[in-house]
Amino acid sequence: MTGGFERTGLTEADVDRLAAQIGLTIAPEFRAAVARHLAALLTAARRVDEFTLPESVEPAPNGES
Amino acid sequence: MSDATTSALAIAAAVRAGKTRAHDVVAGALERIARRDATLNAFTSVLRDRALADADAIDHRLASGADAGPLAGVPFAAKNLFDIAGLTTLAGSKINADNAPATRDATAVARLRTAGAVLVGALNMDEYAYGFSTENTHYGPTRNPHDPSRIAGGSSGGSAAAVAADLVPLSLGTDTNGSIRVPAALCGVFGLKPTFGRVSRAGVVPLAWSFDHVGPFARRVADLAAAFDAIAGPDARDPACATRPATACTDALEQEVDGLRIAVLVGHFAQLTTDEALAAVARVARALGVRREVTLVEPERARAAAQVITACEAAAYHLDNLRSRAGDFDPMTRDRLLAATLLPATYYLRAQRFREWFRGRAADVFRQADVLLAPTTPWPAPAIGAPWTTRIGGTEVPTRGHLGVFTQPLSFIGLPAMSVPVVAAGALPVGVQLVAAPFNEAALFRVAARLEAEEVVSAPVV
Repeated sequence: MTGGFERTGLTEADVDRLAAQIGLTIAPEFRAAVARHLAALLTAARRVDEFTLPESVEPAPNGES
Repeated sequence: MSDATTSALAIAAAVRAGKTRAHDVVAGALERIARRDATLNAFTSVLRDRALADADAIDHRLASGADAGPLAGVPFAAKNLFDIAGLTTLAGSKINADNAPATRDATAVARLRTAGAVLVGALNMDEYAYGFSTENTHYGPTRNPHDPSRIAGGSSGGSAAAVAADLVPLSLGTDTNGSIRVPAALCGVFGLKPTFGRVSRAGVVPLAWSFDHVGPFARRVADLAAAFDAIAGPDARDPACATRPATACTDALEQEVDGLRIAVLVGHFAQLTTDEALAAVARVARALGVRREVTLVEPERARAAAQVITACEAAAYHLDNLRSRAGDFDPMTRDRLLAATLLPATYYLRAQRFREWFRGRAADVFRQADVLLAPTTPWPAPAIGAPWTTRIGGTEVPTRGHLGVFTQPLSFIGLPAMSVPVVAAGALPVGVQLVAAPFNEAALFRVAARLEAEEVVSAPVV
């Protein structure tokens, strides 16, 4: 997975602090890769976040229409 | 007849007519699996004794004058994400290998068996269906029958490879972001991701609850339709399953395509891809006489939202094991799942809101067209162990993740989509997606049948 790590400003210490909030311990050998993937996810999430939606749009996770 | 190189429906017709025995058909499939799967690694379990017993039961039913179903004696296999009674559902993982065997079949497996098909085994996949390559660290990579040094695609890689190599004429897989269509394209077979809610997910380990789909693979369009017809329809065991009755797609195969409005998806769906992928779409469009092009707004953002929703739902499902035994996950999966546990919920919900808006924009497109054409993947099968990134059009992209660039925006909103195989002599196969409005699978089958009849698409045995 590419991109985002530097732009998000995320650090491995951030990963540990966030993980602790949900009772998760990230092993040291996984931490760098987790930070890289989280940065990529944040990049994707912010791409969605920056798009202005009409206020009337609700979450509707049902595919039937 | 002990060889399944003919179609599933021809096998069933021969068995039903007493021209061959289901036992011999299934024994033939088991022999092919024994001969070729050491190389391909498509199967994680082969149910030899059970399959032969089921085949014998079908032969006895027919001998007694009873009906044995429209798929009588047709061997099939299912991705090991599906529950199979008596077998532990691995879901491509080491963790689930500790689970007790399933006590009943997944609904789709049960329905194919009710139709007379004979289950011969379970198939390899990416761990927890979270990948596009089936380079499974625990169970080994599934190899592409067209070139065993290359990936079969994923996550339903075993399902596609087993059909492409004619180990079985039918298989079952799942597709959240492209996991049926991507391996179908890379292995050169037909794969259908139905509308969300059209086929029950009961008895299938989830990846992302809100857009997991179950669907079939086959080498013939009529076989794909027969398998789809057997598994589609309401199921009280799946809360997301649609209650509307299924429309028989086998009946659609004879219908002309003249009344259908068909268009090529352009913009995003023609970018960051290879000439082979675009040439396949052009070939299909030419055969159908299609000149019209349409665009779907914001597909890149839809793909980003699909990534967010998949990651969050999968992480929520696996959180307990991520807390207690993260080291037992496949490294190909683990770090992405761990990362996803840390994403704020607000982002997940904003992605869900975007999804609803995007569904409306897709509905706008389907007011102008009935079937859309797009590449399935941006390139043919990469090598097993290929570098993590690939440069295309001056942009560095993830080699494996980019395989879903054209499938993710479509499954994200539950649209039915079929990958049809375009196989040029001496070249690796590529796929073309046929995409329709929700619950209009029949239109996909009409177009696919026409393309197959004109030999524009085909799935030769390799």
